[in-house]
Amino acid sequence: MLDAQLPGGGWPRRALSELLLRQPGIGEIRLLSPCLTSIQRSGRLVMLFDPPAALSAWALAQLGFDVEQLLIINTRTRALPSGDSLWALEQALKSGHVGAVLAWLPPRLRAERLRRLQLAAHTHDGPAFVLREMTAAERPTAAPLRLALKPAGADALGVRLLKRRGPPLETPLRLALPPVLSNSAREQARAGLERGAPALQGATFINLAGLL
Amino acid sequence: MLWVAVHLPLLSLESFAATLPAASADQPIALMDAHHIVSANASALQLGVKPGLKRATALALAPHLTLAQADARRDEEALRAVAHTALAFTPIVTIQPANDTIGAEQAAPDIVLLEVQGSLRYFGGHERQLQGLLQRLQRALVPLGHRLHMANAPTALGAALLARVHRRFDGSDLALTQRALDAAPVWLLGPGRTHWEALQGMGLRTLSDLRGLPRSGVARRFGAALLDELDRAYGAVPDPRISIALPPAFESRLELFARADTADQVLHGAGLLLDRLIAWLAAQHAFVRRFTLVMLHEPRRSRDKPAPSETTLELALAEPSRDRAHLLVLLRERLANLPLPAPTLELRLHAADIARRAPPNAELFPTPRSEREGLVRLIERLQARLGHERVQCLAAVDDHRPELATAVRCADAQSIGRAHAAASAVAADALTEKTPAADYESAEPAPGVKVRPVWLLSEGQPLDERDSWPLLEGQPLQLLSGPERIESGWWDMRLVERDYFIAQLPDGALVWIYRTRQLVSNPRPGWFLQGRFG
Repeated sequence: MLDAQLPGGGWPRRALSELLLRQPGIGEIRLLSPCLTSIQRSGRLVMLFDPPAALSAWALAQLGFDVEQLLIINTRTRALPSGDSLWALEQALKSGHVGAVLAWLPPRLRAERLRRLQLAAHTHDGPAFVLREMTAAERPTAAPLRLALKPAGADALGVRLLKRRGPPLETPLRLALPPVLSNSAREQARAGLERGAPALQGATFINLAGLL
Repeated sequence: MLWVAVHLPLLSLESFAATLPAASADQPIALMDAHHIVSANASALQLGVKPGLKRATALALAPHLTLAQADARRDEEALRAVAHTALAFTPIVTIQPANDTIGAEQAAPDIVLLEVQGSLRYFGGHERQLQGLLQRLQRALVPLGHRLHMANAPTALGAALLARVHRRFDGSDLALTQRALDAAPVWLLGPGRTHWEALQGMGLRTLSDLRGLPRSGVARRFGAALLDELDRAYGAVPDPRISIALPPAFESRLELFARADTADQVLHGAGLLLDRLIAWLAAQHAFVRRFTLVMLHEPRRSRDKPAPSETTLELALAEPSRDRAHLLVLLRERLANLPLPAPTLELRLHAADIARRAPPNAELFPTPRSEREGLVRLIERLQARLGHERVQCLAAVDDHRPELATAVRCADAQSIGRAHAAASAVAADALTEKTPAADYESAEPAPGVKVRPVWLLSEGQPLDERDSWPLLEGQPLQLLSGPERIESGWWDMRLVERDYFIAQLPDGALVWIYRTRQLVSNPRPGWFLQGRFG
């Protein structure tokens, strides 16, 4: 469903794709995992720059990644990536040998640095995803594609295309992600969301019948 | 036999100019012996400084003149680099000993002789063999930055003598060489220099004059050495030469003229040493795996602690290489992070660990092999700048405890590259990356497989509770799936006894939380956040 809305029918190569989220852990890795795993399967390197928290090798293996062949550049000191990470990202983009790049950029990034990254991405034969905080949506970007992500229920992600080549898209999309919950649990989650605040009354533990 | 002589007329000046910082390449420089100027570079000559002037006169003509003395060891190292470059073209390379006895000291040798008959077809190409080979030789010598005069002749000494006279001489057959030698001045011959006045008094100016005299008389008057040299130059007597041997380990030093305060100045000097290293490597068709740069500092007297007098920087490469640009980039990154205690006075480069393998394939379109080499170089560059511990790889560990189930270790450039070389061909070039269309609307995780979140916290974050119901950032969590009981780790004193649940935030995001069981061993029963499903 997202492919139909993206220009060219898929994630763009040789250009930055900007993803904005308020907080990590809403399903962004699951959204990108089909694309990144297929790049890994074709034998090219996937690099991660400054992931915001520790990664779980089991979870990545479950999503289809070849965990040993992921390269992670971690320059965070006290939860903020340092200036060296932008240099490393530019080097990886310019080299042209990396298959895909997934980078968490420092907050309040200057526009000209993003433009430099976009120029470097021209020599990069593959998708380049940069993830930033939602407050960056107010400022213009040099990346040709910009998406805002927010959770839309269990195992689903709400995507708004803020910027793309071509006509703008007004309505947000709701995409289903590779699942974490079973069907019955998902039903329960949907019911819980519609109800509003979950029941604080009653038992402190949930019904054993609705479990994995 | 075809000998090529490469004469470096400005060797002493150029080897001295290499010790100066990069910015002062065009300034006037002159070399002097005890009292008089011996040689001067182009900008000094323009100002009027000529060989033979006294020191005070030269300084009056050019106040900013840099004066120094010729150093035989420095010249010899520079000439050795040229000889090593020549060794890549032919195994028979020798240095013509200088036998000028001007003054009391020997002048430094400045001619390298190569015997190239065997290498003509391979290096020169099918037609214009000698020209092709000489062009390749000149191109290879460009990084060393010397002015070259070249001559070729059937005899070694003949080529050497003619290289001193002409900028470029082509003596393809013996008769042509002999005619050219006839016109050469007589002071070129070593013994001729000592007897210059006597020869001039007799009116003998060129070698043809000398050849016209009776041989016994010349031998008696000027010594047999003069006659022997004449015969060898004209090809009447064989002239066997012993080729130089390549040293097993590379060692070179550069004494800087001005002390180097910044990393850039050190890098400029190191660049020249790298050029010599590459010449030595090219002579044996090998690649370097590891080399060491030693920087000797100015001695400082400090009462608190003595400053170290030298700093050693060792650079090990994941893949053996002799690419100047790549080695210089790595050196630059390492130097940027290295604090130098004092200004640097001298640089030394050692290399002993080399590898012989096929040279990298320079192709137009990337193949898996060249891509792997490019990847290895990229990883090396990142490791050099950021440090090895910041370039990481993951590995899954067999442990039930989620926070210990992932091991982070430093990436090994070789292992990353190798796995990719074994993969199939690169995906077809398309403008976009198609995400495979999968329908997840009613999909489920496979039964029996434990689901784990992508993002983990290494230590559980305690959650607030309301009526013993967990809250995250003030919002109540709805438990959806679980409990999954993990009880493990009794062997290393990190016992965990937890029940894990998948919970949902009011906006729909999924988190992984756990509740510690109420056991005696647990210090803090309660709800904790372990991870988020990214």
